[in-house]
Amino acid sequence: MSDSILKIAVADPSAIIRSGLSALLKRIQGYHIHTFEVNSIEFLASNIRTHKPDLIIINPTYWGYIDIESFKSENPSSQLHFFAMLTGLTDEKITDQYSKTLSIYDDAESIKTKLDAIFAFSKPEENDESQALSAREKEIIVGVVKGYTNKEIAVNLFLSTHTVITHRRNIARKLEIHSTAGLTIYAIVNKLVELSEISQK
Amino acid sequence: MKHKFTARSRMFDIISDDASLLSSVSRFGISLGLGDKTVQEACTVNDIDCNTFLSVINFLTEGNVELQEEFNEVNLETVIGFLKNAHSYFISYKLPLIREKLNDAVPVDEPTDPYKIVLLNFFDEYVDEVKKHMEYEDKTVFPYVLNLLKGELSTDYKILDFEDHHTDVDSKIAELKNILIKYHPSNSVNYKLNDVLFDLLGCERDLAMHNMVEDHFFVPAVEVIERKLSKLTN
Repeated sequence: MSDSILKIAVADPSAIIRSGLSALLKRIQGYHIHTFEVNSIEFLASNIRTHKPDLIIINPTYWGYIDIESFKSENPSSQLHFFAMLTGLTDEKITDQYSKTLSIYDDAESIKTKLDAIFAFSKPEENDESQALSAREKEIIVGVVKGYTNKEIAVNLFLSTHTVITHRRNIARKLEIHSTAGLTIYAIVNKLVELSEISQK
Repeated sequence: MKHKFTARSRMFDIISDDASLLSSVSRFGISLGLGDKTVQEACTVNDIDCNTFLSVINFLTEGNVELQEEFNEVNLETVIGFLKNAHSYFISYKLPLIREKLNDAVPVDEPTDPYKIVLLNFFDEYVDEVKKHMEYEDKTVFPYVLNLLKGELSTDYKILDFEDHHTDVDSKIAELKNILIKYHPSNSVNYKLNDVLFDLLGCERDLAMHNMVEDHFFVPAVEVIERKLSKLTN
């Protein structure tokens, strides 16, 4: 999804590396990146519990051996990734368990490539055509705005509920509107419905 | 660790360095007309815990969660007062003002213009959500923390429950902004509506900062106390 937020914990003893990496991460296109800086390994576990990051970028050598598996178990509900932040030459064996390695000479573009390989958020630029709503999608908006459930819409349009959900996801992506109240505004502006037809919940 | 602002910094410098800090400064109860008062002096005059004030202001300036070691010095009652003032600012002042401006900015051809009705309806739903969220904090979370400070550890509530509840209220204000930018039906420039958009942008940022203090400053500080208390009782 284009608007997914990626939470990244930057764990490094160096303030310069932490703030430098955070600043660089915010420049990467196609991601909304939130960074948290962790200055000591002691705070990493509580940081994982509190902030539930998707990715941890950490210097694999500075704090001695880092037990990645035990950190992953701090938040078992999500898939937590580790990137190794290398500042010098490191034995390959040490970075075995990390998803990717970064070097302090990486630029935004090469970090993006590494993120893309793990998190499939970014997508090629869409052309106008894919942004336009199909007739079917408009019918579904009308159903939503009138207050029907996904199941009712599916029955009315002879579709499966699953298909309706897929359509709704595409509508939200194309219009950048996620709420029913927002879709109502869109439907009124584009004269898909009359005010009297809108469900008053 | 040394931070950007200290007890000896001038209040004037804090506010003119980053105007967005003004709203935070006023939520501590400090008003304009500060002369050359230092942080220490302004805090003393207004009866505010100076360390807590500095921790919050530095946290907002540096946007950095490095504070764990300082949480012992943070006065959570002061933080709660700060957060409550923010809540009443949004609910009683800022959001009603934006609604008024929005109502004023959207022209109507007929008294029952459907666009205006659904637009205001959207805004009201959004405000309701913000209210619900903030009232929950005022009525449930803050009293829980005040009890913690008295040494009472609840067995059926933890501050992490609050985080689960903490849905993103700012995603909806972003949606309203998107709708106005992309779908507002008009054929002439409307300065009043632009004003509303600027207000929405400012409010979105302000709310995001407020949530940041809650999630990354207040909650971790409460967790520290929870851990201490549960060690004592076990």
